[in-house]
Amino acid sequence: MSIYLDAKYRDVPQEEKQALFDEVTSDMRWETTLYGCYECGICVAACPSARFYDFSPRVFAQIMNREDIDTFYELLNDSVWDCSQCFACTRCPRQNNPGAIITIMREVAVRHGLQSAKNALKAYSRIIYKIMSTGTQVAPDMLQPDFFPDWGPDVVRVSENLDVWRRAIPPETMHTVELAWDVSEKTRLELYLIWKLTGNLQMIENLDENLFMILEEVMEELLEEHGYNIDDIDMIDTDE
Amino acid sequence: MDHNLILVIGGGPAGLEAARGTGDLGYPTILVDKRDVFGGTPISAGYAALTPDMRSADEAMAEMIEAVLNHDEIDLRTGTEIIAVSGSAPELSVTLRGPKGEEQITISSAIIATGFQHFDPGRETQIYGYYEFDDVITLVDAEKMLKAGNFVRPSTGEPPKQVCFIQCVGSRDRQIGNFWCSKVCCGVATKEAIEIRDLVPDCRVFVFYIDMRMYGFWEDELYWKAQEEKKVNFIRGIVTEVTMRGDTVVVKGEDTTMGRPMEIAMDVVILSVGMEPSEGTIEMSKLFNIPLESHGFIATIGGALNTVTTSVPGIFVAGAAAGPADLEDSISMGGASAMKAAAFCRNKSKELAAAG
Repeated sequence: MSIYLDAKYRDVPQEEKQALFDEVTSDMRWETTLYGCYECGICVAACPSARFYDFSPRVFAQIMNREDIDTFYELLNDSVWDCSQCFACTRCPRQNNPGAIITIMREVAVRHGLQSAKNALKAYSRIIYKIMSTGTQVAPDMLQPDFFPDWGPDVVRVSENLDVWRRAIPPETMHTVELAWDVSEKTRLELYLIWKLTGNLQMIENLDENLFMILEEVMEELLEEHGYNIDDIDMIDTDE
Repeated sequence: MDHNLILVIGGGPAGLEAARGTGDLGYPTILVDKRDVFGGTPISAGYAALTPDMRSADEAMAEMIEAVLNHDEIDLRTGTEIIAVSGSAPELSVTLRGPKGEEQITISSAIIATGFQHFDPGRETQIYGYYEFDDVITLVDAEKMLKAGNFVRPSTGEPPKQVCFIQCVGSRDRQIGNFWCSKVCCGVATKEAIEIRDLVPDCRVFVFYIDMRMYGFWEDELYWKAQEEKKVNFIRGIVTEVTMRGDTVVVKGEDTTMGRPMEIAMDVVILSVGMEPSEGTIEMSKLFNIPLESHGFIATIGGALNTVTTSVPGIFVAGAAAGPADLEDSISMGGASAMKAAAFCRNKSKELAAAG
């Protein structure tokens, strides 16, 4: 039972919280991620997210150090997605790495398809689609006024004549707005095999079924052209 | 006649080291202790392992006692008290009362090493129900269980699942009148926390603190070790009250760094009681006419540069009689006071010789 009177998620069984906690602390990176926490706040002072949001890298270090699984579960479901992963927090005198605690926790949240992961990644579905289908992160046509508010007021003006703006820059851009740069068919084929073999595609299935279906369709087509049946490609079992 | 007889009062760590020092320097020394055994509080209070090196208190004190036992210059008197003092050093008349009755001696110098006593958490009735709840104990009570190698919940005799320490009980408290930090309780509690985790591995251990004062090497050797290897939960925030729910004590407090209210059931609550001047220390200040400093310990006059010299010529102080002290402080002061007392005797003897 949580030590805090105002604890959330009281109805979630302790075993469930403990299992997620154990998955984080049994990660191979864990040993060099967290030592002990003074709760001194140097990481919070260095953290850009903490400046603008109700977010504290210190809390991750102190709660994980205390092995407080109830509060760990709160963090996993709430503020684990508020970090920008800039690692300014590694200024820690105990040599902790709060940002890396968060990296590992996010991976666990994604693997288990937690609602917090679904919510957090919803806004990124377009980026995930671009990366996984083309291998490029941001394409010019993603520059839409309603997409990221923090891209600023000029987005509206620029997005109206995107192809014209695009033509004004050197020819390596192929004068297209759908791709940032050219990606060869061979590269795409390799990427698709990697997504499938490493379980990345399965992670997407856990998080966003619609996105998964669109991606699978795109991948299936190219894989088939090269003699692969997507259903015959098994994920590599890393435990073996 | 030479002025050379030195009286050391109190046979704890500071007094034992002081007596060994004056004896080894060749000055005849009388070491008295009102208790029947030497070793001071570490022995009388039944300490298990010493902070910070976890060495057995029995073994360490036996080593110190061994150094003064059968020493040509040292006369050991247990069960002996000082009942009267007159004159002034280097010709101080002191009356001892021991198992063989009263005896008057003339000494040239004295070292007072009468130590401290643990704060009594019942002195102020509101303090955490120490005399009310069986499962609320002190650092000293915990030490006794640890010494026996059997740490249990007192009310049931079962191994505890959840234990906490409450720091600064009787220290740093204007309401109680003890303004000082007792210096050792952070280290002692952390040491005990490690021992509890070793003895009862599935027991969660919390330390509720105001500041953790783990100076010098206590930092990594105790604090980091407890936190990183033993997973002791250090939470900044002092428990406001201990109450009873069913047959379990519940502590209430604020986790100040999280800014959240806590309420936790505990099998054992350990009060980290601080140091106060012992009765013997107060008594000696009266008999030897030495002023107490503002906190009630024996006052020294040299500030940071002289930790053992009192305002009364020829009278020195060592260890926790002069204020909260850890073992290292006490031993160092024991050595320093021996040197000062020996120098005092030597100088007075030279003055006497010069006067012809």
